[in-house]
Amino acid sequence: MAIDVAAGLPNTRFVPLAWRNLVSNKQRLVRSSAGIGFAVVLMLVQLGFERGFFNASLGMIRQLDGDLFVMRASKYRFGSEDPFAPRDLDPVRNVAGVAGVTPLYGSWQRFFWKDPQGDNSYLVQVFAFDPDHPPFLLSEVKAQSNRLKQADAVLVDRRARPFLGMGGDARETELNGRKVNIVGSFALGPDFMASGTVMMSDRSFAGFVAGSPDNLAALPVEFGVVKLQPGADAAAVQRAIAAALPAEARVLSKTELIDFERSFQADLSSAGPIFWMGTFVGFIVGMLISYQIIYTDLSDQLPQYATLKGMGFRTGYLMRIVFEQAALSALVAYVPAWLLTLFLYWAIGNLALLPMQMTLQLTLLSFGLTLGMCLLSAGLAVRRVITADPAEVF
Amino acid sequence: MTLAADKPEFRLYVSPNGKGISKTVPLSLAWRILAHQKGRTALAIGGIFVAVLLIFVELGFFIAVPQGGMLIYDHMRFDLLVVSKKYVFQTESWQFPRARLEEARKNPDVAAASAVYLGGAKWQDPAGGIRLDISAIGFDPRSRAFDVADIDRQIATLEKTDTVLVDSQTRSIFGPLTEGRVVELNGRSTTIGGTYELGTGFLGLGIVLASAENFFRMSPGRPADTVNLGLLTLKPGADPDRVAQQLRTALPNDMQVFTRPELTAHEVRFWTTRTGTGLIFGSGLIVAVIVGIMVLYQTLATQITKQMPQFATMKAIGYTNLFLNGIVLSEAVSIMLIAFIPAFLAALGLYTVIRNQTLLPVIMSPTELGGVFAIVMAMSVISAVLSVGRLRRADPAEVF
Repeated sequence: MAIDVAAGLPNTRFVPLAWRNLVSNKQRLVRSSAGIGFAVVLMLVQLGFERGFFNASLGMIRQLDGDLFVMRASKYRFGSEDPFAPRDLDPVRNVAGVAGVTPLYGSWQRFFWKDPQGDNSYLVQVFAFDPDHPPFLLSEVKAQSNRLKQADAVLVDRRARPFLGMGGDARETELNGRKVNIVGSFALGPDFMASGTVMMSDRSFAGFVAGSPDNLAALPVEFGVVKLQPGADAAAVQRAIAAALPAEARVLSKTELIDFERSFQADLSSAGPIFWMGTFVGFIVGMLISYQIIYTDLSDQLPQYATLKGMGFRTGYLMRIVFEQAALSALVAYVPAWLLTLFLYWAIGNLALLPMQMTLQLTLLSFGLTLGMCLLSAGLAVRRVITADPAEVF
Repeated sequence: MTLAADKPEFRLYVSPNGKGISKTVPLSLAWRILAHQKGRTALAIGGIFVAVLLIFVELGFFIAVPQGGMLIYDHMRFDLLVVSKKYVFQTESWQFPRARLEEARKNPDVAAASAVYLGGAKWQDPAGGIRLDISAIGFDPRSRAFDVADIDRQIATLEKTDTVLVDSQTRSIFGPLTEGRVVELNGRSTTIGGTYELGTGFLGLGIVLASAENFFRMSPGRPADTVNLGLLTLKPGADPDRVAQQLRTALPNDMQVFTRPELTAHEVRFWTTRTGTGLIFGSGLIVAVIVGIMVLYQTLATQITKQMPQFATMKAIGYTNLFLNGIVLSEAVSIMLIAFIPAFLAALGLYTVIRNQTLLPVIMSPTELGGVFAIVMAMSVISAVLSVGRLRRADPAEVF
């Protein structure tokens, strides 16, 4: 064997050695896949929480049916009450390219919803609009907005926190001590500020805050939701609207409005750093688990590696196998973990009422992290193979 | 090489019925096993270190979130709290007529009753810019409602017209909190009289503290006879539970009375069950515990497999299963304890970072320390119990 090493070696290109190593011991395969898979689930859940938190805060904005949004320049977040007079929107209607403007009325601090099944009342967020032009993408709101034309009719969020009792089939309850009729529901979900959402017509809203349903002209507006004519240049119209409005007003595209809220959540609320830290810890824990597993697997197969070395295979080839095997372990563990996470997202989403969604971006990111931690672990553990002495192994 | 042969001194202790063996033998044996394979032990300690650190962090958050909700109450002087029947938690406290507070004061055991008003204001710099929401707390400065030295020191400042104190944890987005700065609160020019250190809890991005007069001046439209929190101080020696019971009977049923422990239980329950936080950090805690048990179990199981001939030999010369279990348990506890100390130190540092980043009261209190220690001990027992199954199979006849 030592006489002509190179000639005696089989053609290694077509021997999937890493794969054979991986599947040679089924029990070990299950054990290491379970370990690495656990780390994957841990990271995916932490990442899911982080994104779920932001998605919950941004969920309402994403559901707004508009191209541009007019609000007060002094507004610092989507859900802060900083209204303006309806007539301030008048100049916007005459800007070229604007198809229509719908005032969106909102309140985050002043509406208390009575649990239909109990006695307690809780703060809810309220949106109001012209039922003929619902400024929301939620198909259930669009389909049911006509029912809001009845006096004191409301649509409620059936995914609101359970203690509000919005998910049941109650037909009436009280809002700020006044009887309202629940005429339908939609699925949105709470965020960390609002436990539940109620929608009503502009006339009903005026009845609550301006004293009379006819007092629409005095009703404070939070957002002017602007729809553009097909083919209009959004950036140009945005500039034209900004020019037509006084400096106290601000015009944002939908993307800008989402970024505006996201940066508030990331910078000012304490939730951002909490979940960021969770993801980091998830990666470290995953790294540790996969290192231990890959190290153990390598130790178990040390005789085989030493034999290969004794046969004359070069260290570079052995290292390649180790890394290939680590990458394959990552892949084999990732797939079931990803499937399990789908179920966990569904379960946690329903329990914690968080929008936990598996996206392509999340899949790629988590797979990248998994591959990274397995290769990194293999890099740390490969020393054992390099130093394996064929003479000592047996 | 068998362990027993290597260490002849143990032979002196051997007796077939296991009696007469020093209690410290399992521990020193465990120690030798751990020291024998330093690399593997270090790896296990590293794993446990991360798991324990993770437990510290998750438990820290789990406890800190409700504590953040309790922060303001924890710095108020009262024995009983009277609030509206509709009270949900501090931020949704509702209001009740001041007359109810007068009624409560009539109880012979009540020494003092004072009103606290909660509200919000729009904060804007006179030069313009964003209009921020800030929470406002109103109270009678002479009632000494707050157990905060900075506030007691600035009673005279609070009594000045249109002057407020600002919590020093008010976020930097509000601009400098320098004494003498004039800001608009609900459109009314108000002077910052000074700052105090308490913390904002979950009351929002910032808090201004004002005398009742100034509070109502900046809250136009709010009826003057509405109170959010009624603080009762009892006479020395009075039993809070008994007085609370009397007040519940005496007051109309649109009111609620809390003793301090009842209030804590109520607020903690709110934060853990009615917000997502309990579930999020609770599940994180469980994950951390499972990771720790897994790492420790794997280490112990590998050690047992490696030392099987030695264990089988010990069994053959008369050591009982119980004794061998003791060795494994000692190994588990030793690894835990060694990992616990650096994890504790790292957690102290991490808590400081988290406190600065999130402004949550994540602190290393005896509750956290004791809680994590108890969890960690339970983890070592569980992983030891899981792994000793292999030990029972140690058959001296098979080994050689």
